[in-house]
Amino acid sequence: MFRNEFGQVVDLDPVLGYLHRGVEKIAENSDFHHIISQLDPLEYVSSLFCEWSPVMSFEKLLDIQVPRRAEYIRVLTGELNRIASHMLFLGWYALDLGGITPILWSFAERDEIVEMLAAITGAKLLFNYFRIGGVNGDLNHEFMSRLGDWMSRAGAQLDAGMGLLNENEIFVRRARGLGVLDRETALRMCVTGPNLRASGVPFDIRRAHPYSVYPELEFEIPTRREGDSLARYLLRMDEVRQSLRIIDQCLHQMPDGPVMARLPRLLRPRPGRAYSAVEGPRGQYSCYAMSDGTDQPFRLRIHDPSFLHLQLVGLLMPGNLIADTMAIMASLDPVMGGVDK
Amino acid sequence: MAAYWNRLSLGSRAFLVIVPALLVVGAVLTVGIAVLLGPVLDFLGANMPLVRFVAAATAIIVMTIPIAFVIIFMELKVIAAMNLRVGPDRVGPYGTFMSVVHGLKVLAKEDFTPRGVDVPIFTLAPIVVFASIPLTLLVIPFAPGVFGQDFNIALLYFFAIGGMSVVGLMMAGWASFNKYSLLGALRAAAQAISYELPLTLSVVGIIILAGTMSLNSIVQLQAGSLFDWNIWKQPLGFIIFFIAATAEANRTPLDMTEADQELVAGFATEYSGMRFGFFFFAEYVNVFVVSALSVVLFFGGWNAPFDWPFPVTLSLDPGGLGLGLVFLIALAPVVGTIVLGLPFWLLSSRVSTLRALVIGFILFNLLIVGAFLGWAFVSAEWVSGLVWMIGKTFVFVFIFVQMRGTLPRVRVDQLMSFAWKWLLPAALLNIFVTATAVSILANR
Repeated sequence: MFRNEFGQVVDLDPVLGYLHRGVEKIAENSDFHHIISQLDPLEYVSSLFCEWSPVMSFEKLLDIQVPRRAEYIRVLTGELNRIASHMLFLGWYALDLGGITPILWSFAERDEIVEMLAAITGAKLLFNYFRIGGVNGDLNHEFMSRLGDWMSRAGAQLDAGMGLLNENEIFVRRARGLGVLDRETALRMCVTGPNLRASGVPFDIRRAHPYSVYPELEFEIPTRREGDSLARYLLRMDEVRQSLRIIDQCLHQMPDGPVMARLPRLLRPRPGRAYSAVEGPRGQYSCYAMSDGTDQPFRLRIHDPSFLHLQLVGLLMPGNLIADTMAIMASLDPVMGGVDK
Repeated sequence: MAAYWNRLSLGSRAFLVIVPALLVVGAVLTVGIAVLLGPVLDFLGANMPLVRFVAAATAIIVMTIPIAFVIIFMELKVIAAMNLRVGPDRVGPYGTFMSVVHGLKVLAKEDFTPRGVDVPIFTLAPIVVFASIPLTLLVIPFAPGVFGQDFNIALLYFFAIGGMSVVGLMMAGWASFNKYSLLGALRAAAQAISYELPLTLSVVGIIILAGTMSLNSIVQLQAGSLFDWNIWKQPLGFIIFFIAATAEANRTPLDMTEADQELVAGFATEYSGMRFGFFFFAEYVNVFVVSALSVVLFFGGWNAPFDWPFPVTLSLDPGGLGLGLVFLIALAPVVGTIVLGLPFWLLSSRVSTLRALVIGFILFNLLIVGAFLGWAFVSAEWVSGLVWMIGKTFVFVFIFVQMRGTLPRVRVDQLMSFAWKWLLPAALLNIFVTATAVSILANR
């Protein structure tokens, strides 16, 4: 719903439900292995994170210890997916401001990551790679050679792509001070992820509630205070650099060993509840699983940050010009597949 | 008779129809020319300016088509290179015919008129937009003697006619019965009014310097070397002119009228088929027009940037060869083909004799065409002028294309405030400084 006066937005209200597929209900009627493939298309840009939190909660239900190599592979592929997602953001953000070149430059980067992930997962978008108790398949030669090739020049490529925007007066003037999200509003609206950190709250689940092998890895949590579109864009680019650091450390510290835990063929967790959250490229992906002792979950609640971030448009848009609606929207980076589950 | 006709093949039937028809037409033409040629020539000779004008106008309208195609192809290829893409490479060599195919596709599409539109105005709008472009090209001097019309208010005429396209955009937006079209058209009108002022004021400095508005005289006054061009005398004027011209031509970063993230396709939302094609045709030719005008005003027009260091004098007298000329014409292609094909034939056993001959023939033709063009470039002033003018113009077209690949779009209020708060005062300052300098230098 959209109202404007003389080109200025007066009121804006997102209308949801056009993409609703009832994934949570589907999950109640599938067994635990099957659910993972159903959750992939939720947030198709970063689907590894949609798998990660349910898989973690199922592991808590079943009391499974995941092999350390599998955890490292999860972190490695997850950070690669985070970079791919931020690259997509960079391209679309520039495109929504009218620049046509950055999307193709960032897609060149994203393509390489997607090819890498396709080499181990077999899919380019909906990976379906994480398994309860580990991952589906060890790192292979093609993945490693592609990764090494890419890592040797990733930073330089990123600088080249950002130079096109960061030193561009038109872009900076448009993005600075646009759609300012202050700290209190951000906390009140349950904003997480880069959007929250761009408003000055250094909250990152990888550090606040550590999971997997993140406690063993060294990385910073970039924060910015301005809370405007430019800060949200720059913060994501800072995160890409931190992700590169993490990938480097993963490659150095990764132990040998199995990538799957020993599991019974039919998973029947004891009745109970488990919650898990991961830090995705858009914020907190979390999952609350309830089991009644059968091979299907009794209830699976999925939390997706895009849904909450989309609600911000009603707060940030009024007073801005129509021309800026898409720019603010793009800077919040919601994915519609995650908004309607 | 009918039975005999039915037994004939298609080719024979066509032959039997076409040949007598041609004979009749030929006889009529011969008689007609014999009778009418004298009076017609007399009439044309008596109205030379009219003949010249009609010829120039026809040439310019015909010229717009290849110009637009070349610019569209440039845009496809240059932006593709900037975007790490290949761009079109299937149609013709290196995809050169892609823009032709684009044009044919637009022609073949349904020309749809939605319900609720104001039909006469809706139909007329693309024509108005397109018609203003050849009219502006009419006053641009391409080379010594190669121009449509030269009159003493050419620059004023250019801006007046150039402003007419906004009327067309406004008509399109209003008649389309669509809020996005109307918003796009209103933006176009606001933008055109805001940028027409600095655009026109930025060239006043040149008018003061030249003392005339005739584009031909402005170019002639810049004759000499690179340092006689107006860009050195009017750098600020050029910057203002270039920015305002970008807005006038609706190019990125100032293409508010087609902000597709905000306004679907602006004023062209409801258009389809060739009517839509006309808008884009006009846009691309407009890029050429503003580039040509910046070259004429600031970069010396047809003047070469440097003098030819060694004067070439060619004294060819083909008639002096007598019968030898016939032999030359007959033998030169054969000898040239063989001589130029021989190295390829000797170089590799993979090149068959026929292929070597074909290569030699192509090379020979290229050589002759090159020699002919070189001779024309050296000896005919208008050929060299045309080459320099078109070359410089396409440098500017290239800059416009490259800007589109690089820059994001500015916001509509930034666009407006930039025009009124910065460009307009700067243009006024430019006029003031130029006038002061000219009057001081004149009094000394």
